[in-house]
Amino acid sequence: MTAAFTRTRAFRDVVVVLVLVFGVGSVAMLLAHVSPVDGFAALFDGAFGTVGEVAETLVQTTNLLFPALGVALAFRAGLFNIGAEGQLVIGGFLAGWLGAQFPVAGYLAVPMVLLAGVVGGGLWGAIPGVLRARFGANEVISTLMLNVIALLLTTYLVTGPLQQGTGGGSETGPLPKAAELPALIPDTPLTWAFAIAIVLALVLHWVLQRTVFGYELRAAGDAPEAAKRAGIDLGRSALVAMTLSGAIAGLGGATIVAGVLHRFNTGLSPGYGFIAIAVALVGNLEPLWIVVAAFAFGILQSGAIGMQTEAQVPREVVSLIIGLVIVALAGRRVITALRST
Amino acid sequence: MNATTAAIAALLGLTLVKATPLIYAALGGVLSERSGVVNIGLEGILIAGAFTSVAVSGATGNPVLGALAGVVAGMLLAAVLAFAATRLAVDQIVAGTGINIAALAAAAFALVLIWHQPGASHEVPALGNTGEIVLIVLAFAVAGALHLVLNRTPWGLRVRACGEDPSAAESAGIDALATRFWAVVIGGAICSLGGVYLSLAELDLYSDGMTAGRGFIALAAVIFGRWTPLGATGAALFFGFFAALQFSLQRAGVPSELLQALPYLAAIVALAGFAGRVRAPAADGIPYVRP
Amino acid sequence: MQAVDGVDLELNPGEIHALVGENGAGKSTLAAIAYGAVHPDDGSVSADGVVGLVHQHFKLIDRLSVWENVLLNREPRRGWSIDVAAARARVRELGARYGLEADPDARVETLPVGIKQRVELLRELDREPSVLLLDEPTAALAPGEIASFFTTVQELAQRGTAILVVTHKLAEVIAYSQRVTVMRAGRVVASHLTGETSAEQIAREMVGGDVPALAARASTILAPLLALRGMSARSGTSMLRAATFDVRAGEIVGVAGIEGNGQSALADAIAGIVPFTGEMTFAGEPLRANETPAGRIARGIRVIPQDRRHEALVLNWDVRDNVALGRQRTLAMNRFGDAAREVIERFDVRPPNPDALAGALSGGNQQKIVVGRALASEPRLVVAYQPTRGIDVGAAALVQSRLIEARNAGAGVLLISFELDEIFAVADRILVIANGAFAGEFDRAKLDRGRIGALMAGNA
Repeated sequence: MTAAFTRTRAFRDVVVVLVLVFGVGSVAMLLAHVSPVDGFAALFDGAFGTVGEVAETLVQTTNLLFPALGVALAFRAGLFNIGAEGQLVIGGFLAGWLGAQFPVAGYLAVPMVLLAGVVGGGLWGAIPGVLRARFGANEVISTLMLNVIALLLTTYLVTGPLQQGTGGGSETGPLPKAAELPALIPDTPLTWAFAIAIVLALVLHWVLQRTVFGYELRAAGDAPEAAKRAGIDLGRSALVAMTLSGAIAGLGGATIVAGVLHRFNTGLSPGYGFIAIAVALVGNLEPLWIVVAAFAFGILQSGAIGMQTEAQVPREVVSLIIGLVIVALAGRRVITALRST
Repeated sequence: MNATTAAIAALLGLTLVKATPLIYAALGGVLSERSGVVNIGLEGILIAGAFTSVAVSGATGNPVLGALAGVVAGMLLAAVLAFAATRLAVDQIVAGTGINIAALAAAAFALVLIWHQPGASHEVPALGNTGEIVLIVLAFAVAGALHLVLNRTPWGLRVRACGEDPSAAESAGIDALATRFWAVVIGGAICSLGGVYLSLAELDLYSDGMTAGRGFIALAAVIFGRWTPLGATGAALFFGFFAALQFSLQRAGVPSELLQALPYLAAIVALAGFAGRVRAPAADGIPYVRP
Repeated sequence: MQAVDGVDLELNPGEIHALVGENGAGKSTLAAIAYGAVHPDDGSVSADGVVGLVHQHFKLIDRLSVWENVLLNREPRRGWSIDVAAARARVRELGARYGLEADPDARVETLPVGIKQRVELLRELDREPSVLLLDEPTAALAPGEIASFFTTVQELAQRGTAILVVTHKLAEVIAYSQRVTVMRAGRVVASHLTGETSAEQIAREMVGGDVPALAARASTILAPLLALRGMSARSGTSMLRAATFDVRAGEIVGVAGIEGNGQSALADAIAGIVPFTGEMTFAGEPLRANETPAGRIARGIRVIPQDRRHEALVLNWDVRDNVALGRQRTLAMNRFGDAAREVIERFDVRPPNPDALAGALSGGNQQKIVVGRALASEPRLVVAYQPTRGIDVGAAALVQSRLIEARNAGAGVLLISFELDEIFAVADRILVIANGAFAGEFDRAKLDRGRIGALMAGNA
């Protein structure tokens, strides 16, 4: 069993990721004149040292899990949605702005804010979906453009016509208390967003494996010509997959607004939508494995802060590692498809 | 010269300034894609060129040496993508995205190590006005040269063959993987000049995010230019014009973020109107695996 | 997997040597080894001079010109650039020498198949090979083109080139070769001087016994089913013009033609993949030009696509999910396994395992799944487009028998094939297609091979 496992691709991937994390991490730490032992100690201490830090690790896990699930859904449908970042930002913006502007009382407050995020992200994802379905425009380039436009647009809106904040101006006004996601562990930043993300992963797994919708979506992604001849409408599939993918990323943005920041702010995402691509790939585009991958990257994200403050290693080293992980694992699906022929 | 003519002249001059990095990046993209490798990593290569040239110019006091170092860095980063895309046969779009993330992070990391401050470098010796003009003229020269190389030379024919059908190219005795590798690396050298221009000619420092998605606009220019050097140059000038327009309109009181979005919007609209009427090289983006 | 085992083969200058065997016997592998593209695990290959190989699927680059294809990697130079004038002259001179004229500046994608074949041959001849390997060289040629192709080949042989023709067309073997080697399951099972053997003997040696018999054809009641009236359609480069014919329930209509004469447009228009003009009625109801493939499936129309690997199967899925493809809206998910086992049993799919990946199966077993699922849901019309391409004789006979049984059970079958022998063996009625138009109709009882061949070549 163990011998068999060491020969699997999953095992090799884990080895590649570990080599990149510890190899590149060590080199970077040495460049910063820090012993790798101290550096990684600071990283793990930053991720697990206190209850609050464990909670922060799970918050980072959550923030990565939503866009990663969205990215995976699109990839499974054969669409390179590189636009999760923009979808997350637009979702977060709509949640923060509508939540503050049109407060809803009682139990509906949180669902309304989250719904705003779903709608915002879904619409932002639908744009490249429509452009592809109607005009045949490549979704890679349109989603890349829409990331930039999302950031510029929200910056303009919160510093200009929709400015509500009082301090500095690059944020909306605060959400009413009723619209804040309740804490999962009291006195920590960990909220019910974590539970929502886990449930979403389970639902997505079920949808992909056990429903006709998921079957058709996978067919469109894995063999578009065969899918077309089997009566599957590829244009519709692209539009639906992009919209849902964006909606999931947008929901993630809304949970950051409702759970962490309690308002929209242009610094909402330190690139969660891009890191999500690495998370989705390491999770082999399978929702349940993506949960595990999100936790691993959550450790890196949350530990990076501790590493920077405790050991004076610039936190960007984590993003560097993540970028290299994406390059190294970019081959999975393609290689699988080629080898099976 | 009346005020209107002066304003138009200023707009055209600014168009050249704004288009130059796009031209370099788009030409790098054309060479890469004609060989069959989609280069989403243009943005990262711009960053590598921009950052390294500033770092080396700051360390040596010699901006020309800095520029050369920037080109070498762009080639090295492109080589990573080229290796992954040829020998590892990975998905090029995903790998290119990883290149962009890694380059942005590496620059930010090294920035802190070198200048002990986040966000932006100190000012360093720059290429100055002469250097800027040289780089602008060179961009057009490279476009013409690439046109000749692709269409008139044996190597150019081989590159095109690999972009259309690497298996057929190999049956004619061409090493498709090596040809693609070098096309991507040389494309990386060309693209990195755009980064050098941004940090060392237009400015004299590097700041995080200064490439601002120009690599992505260049990708649109490649498509808009039908994968030809001259077409891509024209498309880069078109998008450069929208970038220049933002400064004229800003003076008229239109908010700057909306104007900054102009070239991106123009690129999306151009793509939507253009897609389906152009054909990419037949094997563009498809990894070649030897049987 | 071992494709070729302990083979001895000798080619002589001036001789046309035929290498025959059914699909999967190892002939293409042997040709690749002789060419040097595949290295043998054991044994050796030696040749005096250059070895050339003309591929079954042309190794031409569509968007390059003729001269760019012929001289790729051997371009004449002038300084740093290609000497285009010299390149053009070289291609013209080569064409004149061998009687293979082609416009050096034409883009290959604009050329008809016969000319592409010439370009493919020119490319190899420019290297002045002393040994020339031809892998199924006539697969895409019309009967008339085949004769002129072999005239060229015979001239080459007379100039001293050693020629190996890999083929499964025994008529060509008998007509043009001096020596024939038969392969089966990776081994050479016989070798003859062609004059001392017969097509029948070679066929038995290829199969290793008698050619399997097809299912008997029962008498059926013919009823109107599919009617085309002036139907035109286009799919990619494939064009169909004003097709008018009927397919009735209880008959197999064969469409005979050479690849690239409008067959894809016909299959795709019936499948709902591309729109059409003119009229098409099915079971008395007019079909809308914009009806989706799903609509056609719901009517009971099943199309077996030409390219099973890309158009029919999801290679990284298991057999179970592949068998359900096309019926995913009507078949409950917990019935997928049962449906797969039915197809596996009825079509003798090996391995008999619904969990096996489709991409890991042999071509014959992949095709059994594609045909099996098309016939499983009691279709009213089956369009079978090259249903036995590239599969072994046993699997082909099984597929053809199941099509006949579907006809016996009252389905209408439209068999589109590039293999005349298949059409003659299976169809009740034969239509000939050439240049996108239907050119003639023949009844099973009154076949005229010569006339059909002439019509296929576009000679009315």
